[in-house]
Amino acid sequence: MASESARMASAAEARFRIDAPNSKPRAIKIIALDRSSETVVKRLAQATWNRASFFTASAFASAPQPAGSFSMTGWLSDVAGRTKDLMDEVASADLVVMVATAGENASAAAIIGEAASAKRVNTTGLIVGSAGVSDEALAKTLAQLRPWSLMLVIANADDYIEDMLTALRA
Amino acid sequence: MLRKEQNDLLTQTGPGTPMGDLFRRSWQPVLLAEELPENECPPVRVKILSERLLAFRDSHGRLGLIDEFCAHRGVSLWFGRNEEAGLRCPYHGWKYDVTGQCIDVPSEPVESGYCQKIKLKSYPLIEKGGVLWAYLGPPDKKPPEPSYEFATVPEKHRFVSKRWQESNWLQAMEGGIDSSHVSFLHRGDLHNDPLFKGARGNQYNLGDARPVFEVVESPGGLYIGARRNAENGHYYWRITPWVMPAFTMIAPRGNHSVHGHFWVPIDDQNCWTWSFDYHPIRELDAAEVQAMRDGKGIHVTYVQGSFRPSANKDNDYLMDRKAQKEGRYYSGIAGIAMQDASLQESMGPIIDRTKENLVSTDNGIIMARHRLMRAAKALAEKGITPPGVDPEHQKVRSVAIVLPHDVPYKEGAKEALIAKPGVAPASV
Repeated sequence: MASESARMASAAEARFRIDAPNSKPRAIKIIALDRSSETVVKRLAQATWNRASFFTASAFASAPQPAGSFSMTGWLSDVAGRTKDLMDEVASADLVVMVATAGENASAAAIIGEAASAKRVNTTGLIVGSAGVSDEALAKTLAQLRPWSLMLVIANADDYIEDMLTALRA
Repeated sequence: MLRKEQNDLLTQTGPGTPMGDLFRRSWQPVLLAEELPENECPPVRVKILSERLLAFRDSHGRLGLIDEFCAHRGVSLWFGRNEEAGLRCPYHGWKYDVTGQCIDVPSEPVESGYCQKIKLKSYPLIEKGGVLWAYLGPPDKKPPEPSYEFATVPEKHRFVSKRWQESNWLQAMEGGIDSSHVSFLHRGDLHNDPLFKGARGNQYNLGDARPVFEVVESPGGLYIGARRNAENGHYYWRITPWVMPAFTMIAPRGNHSVHGHFWVPIDDQNCWTWSFDYHPIRELDAAEVQAMRDGKGIHVTYVQGSFRPSANKDNDYLMDRKAQKEGRYYSGIAGIAMQDASLQESMGPIIDRTKENLVSTDNGIIMARHRLMRAAKALAEKGITPPGVDPEHQKVRSVAIVLPHDVPYKEGAKEALIAKPGVAPASV
């Protein structure tokens, strides 16, 4: 008689597997850190997602901040241009994905990363467009993202993001 | 998760499938050279990419890989007589050379030229690095010989084995690029396995169960870096190269050998897991080779006369609940190879990826799937040669290295990631 492992690993047994949802959609917040990434994020936002929402940080990140008076309130924009509170958005997320373009300024990663760290939310940094830039330029963007990303992905093209979000059931 | 059609695309490798076409653009390891040890030795059945073939070494030492079945009445040529520069079917005496050309049909007059009209499908088969490699793709697209470092070092520097894995190739291969499972599934073996223990890097592994990952596209596939904390502003990096479609390496430990795998589809529900150990600059010593023969490290012991692991699903992988409880084997299964294989086979022959819940640390797997799908599409629609076929893409090494916090591994380990003859591997 076949062992339990042999019987249970068979294709015939696969049809008795429980056919019920085994997870709830996770809230994933995707934030563009620079102007080039904004285009990518806005395009992605046109697709249908479970619980993914899309934001931009570039306008705020590039604006000069008065010393001592910085607030995270109203620091993000959604793709319609409405301002959003960074801490509120991070607090309601299961995962924050920061999208940066290789060679661009990704300094906003520090503020978002700090917020995610405070709220104990995992972060993924995604650098796109790495094929067309120098190692030096890429390293600069990497250095801004690395301290704040628990997973860092450097992709040649931006079509990876859609596959990644689908894989994560965003 | 993957949609069903994506899962089908990635897991089906038979003739005419997009992923099958992608595999068919590279040389695939099919036999250990020792399986055809001498001229006129017995032929060996080969099933690869859902094609049933027969390999033999003829009287002149020429290697052949031909359709397994005689063109006359469909008899398996495994029963054939390997004699006088060909393989003769014992049923009615039809004889074939290493190209599959029929060279004798005894019942027909030689003058009729009938046998010239009979030819079995055949593929190129070459020997390199103790392995017989087959190319099943279009003849005009045949790439240069494989250039993976393990196949180019002197014979005494390497040890190669293979084992039958009863699952689709992809779920096996994905284990090879899933660095985050090591701190759990294999943690007992970092202390005990003679081919792993004693390395300084093991302490970093065991001391930090939550590595941070960086996934970088390489010309031939990916580099997957796992970063753990080390001393004084440094990180300990373990870097796994993946070369498309099915070659992975494991970061080395101390002065132990470098190692890795090929994951080659037999059919859609079975694959060969090839395991190699080598050292670029020294011979493996007798104790190391014996340990590998004894199933240590990434190798296994076998059911006698086969390449089936002695721990297999028919004996519940020799599950040891006491060892599991005591922490000697985290899953209760002995040996790194079978710890992986047992769990991968338990998923079923082809895992239903529509139900999985990947997390951020699975980005290496997500990116590998993405690249495979993209390459299969580019090949099917535009005839673009897939990454990994170029010999330069194959000259990679896994790396274990300690770097300052501010040095990206792609820069800090740039030279170490390239296989260079006579240069020691970067290992901690």
